[in-house]
Amino acid sequence: MSALFSQNPLMNGPNYSFSDTPVSHPNEAHGELREHRFNPYTDNGGSTLAIAGADFAIVAGDTRLTSGYSIHTRYSPKVFKIGGTTADQKDATIVLSVVGFAADGTALRERLDAACKMYRYRHGKPMSVNAAAKRLSTMLYQKRFFPYYVYAILAGLDEEGKGAVYSYDPVGSYEREMCRAGGAAASLIMPFLDNQVNFKNQHIPGSGEGHAIQEREKKPLLREQVEILVKDAFDGAVERHIEVGDGLQMMVITSQGVEEHYLPLKKD
Amino acid sequence: MVGKDCVAIACDLRLGLQALTVSNNFPKIFQYGDVLLGLTGLATDVATVSDLFRYKVNMYRLREERNIAPSTFANLVSSSLYERRFGPYFVSPVVAGLDQKTGKPFICGFDSIGCIDFAKDFIVSGTATEQLFGMCESLWEPDMVRLDLDFRTLFPPGIFFYMMILLKNGQLNHDVECSTIMHIICTSDLNFTNASYQSTFATGFDEFFANNLNLLDDLQCPEDLFETISQALLNAVDRDALSGWGAHVYIIEKDKVTKRLLKGRQD
Repeated sequence: MSALFSQNPLMNGPNYSFSDTPVSHPNEAHGELREHRFNPYTDNGGSTLAIAGADFAIVAGDTRLTSGYSIHTRYSPKVFKIGGTTADQKDATIVLSVVGFAADGTALRERLDAACKMYRYRHGKPMSVNAAAKRLSTMLYQKRFFPYYVYAILAGLDEEGKGAVYSYDPVGSYEREMCRAGGAAASLIMPFLDNQVNFKNQHIPGSGEGHAIQEREKKPLLREQVEILVKDAFDGAVERHIEVGDGLQMMVITSQGVEEHYLPLKKD
Repeated sequence: MVGKDCVAIACDLRLGLQALTVSNNFPKIFQYGDVLLGLTGLATDVATVSDLFRYKVNMYRLREERNIAPSTFANLVSSSLYERRFGPYFVSPVVAGLDQKTGKPFICGFDSIGCIDFAKDFIVSGTATEQLFGMCESLWEPDMVRLDLDFRTLFPPGIFFYMMILLKNGQLNHDVECSTIMHIICTSDLNFTNASYQSTFATGFDEFFANNLNLLDDLQCPEDLFETISQALLNAVDRDALSGWGAHVYIIEKDKVTKRLLKGRQD
């Protein structure tokens, strides 16, 4: 018993007077590595949303940046213009939104922007959205085993002038869609978009019995309607998700260029 | 979900063991007189708890010689769940009903140990809560009623225009095809004399709304509540792999309860 509580350094190892002494891990003796507790990722919350129209596309995102329960800033944009010729991107035609880990988002945005600029330099023409979409997918997959922790959405006008929205998972799997929500409140917004943009679960009354009933005809929405849907979607998300709020940043891509709007959201 | 002088409660029909679907006909709503109870969670506990409350409500009726009130039932649910504080039933109940005396809608939800969440708009529970919150938050509005305005007399058919009615307490937006009857889902305190509206076809609107003020008497609130809760549920469960396979919707009015079966997606 006396040996158990002995002060003898030879029996118990060194008895330091301060608390954080280097203690050899039991596993270390067996040649195993000690675990480092550095985590390279953070979830900075927030939410993004993109909808394609007949001749336009709208990308929106809230501007809150969080870490855990604390708000780092109320204005940190998640939606960026990509591939312009100047630093202020005023002639850009493609928009990228990134949500998830903000640092990775910034890094990815800068890489894609550089890639678009290189393309313009080499080919003497701006990059098309579908080319940029493929490039972004490759970029994400290149980091397959140490991914950019972001849900990206890319939008612009395709070669026919129609609105195009491409959505990605963190490792570059992508798809062209009519609409997509990403980030913390994606699960709140996405069913609303299914219903209001793709008219899911909407049928023509009296057009048939049971499963024979006709679905409501799908047609692309007008710009005013889409803008209202985006606001409504975010107002709903702000109400029920703590990581979403403060401001709504909205980019409207038309053949005239990219318009940027900012609207306040609830700050609580 | 609360409507004007009515409430609705709805559930999906799936019973599953993680990803394996065991049954596609497992209703989660139980009726006790005027009160309805929805139960999500562990299926054995759903059966046990629903039977337990059937027993308790029947005993209450025998002793008191009247039906249990929704608010009383809510407190019964709360205390019964808290009795099992350290070995809880794994259920999250939802209660809906109309107050017997005042006719006021009553809804509330609980956690598994009986903490009551009183709400004046909607309560959600189960695996698709996030999706349901998103749907309800964006579709629901207070005192839903529907006005059927016939625009065919006013404008030539086929013209598509966009109209915005700004109300005192919010904003409403609807696209309207002139060849059809317009359905506005709006709040019942809508007052066209106070409402301002914008339109690409602004002419003629003033008289039109003035002539249609009487339409407010012709309210169809239960139908609108039914549409809202059904769309909210169906679209929410379509984005949840663990919910779906059809739905039951109950609309509770002053003197009747309507139950409808929605087929929905079967995948």
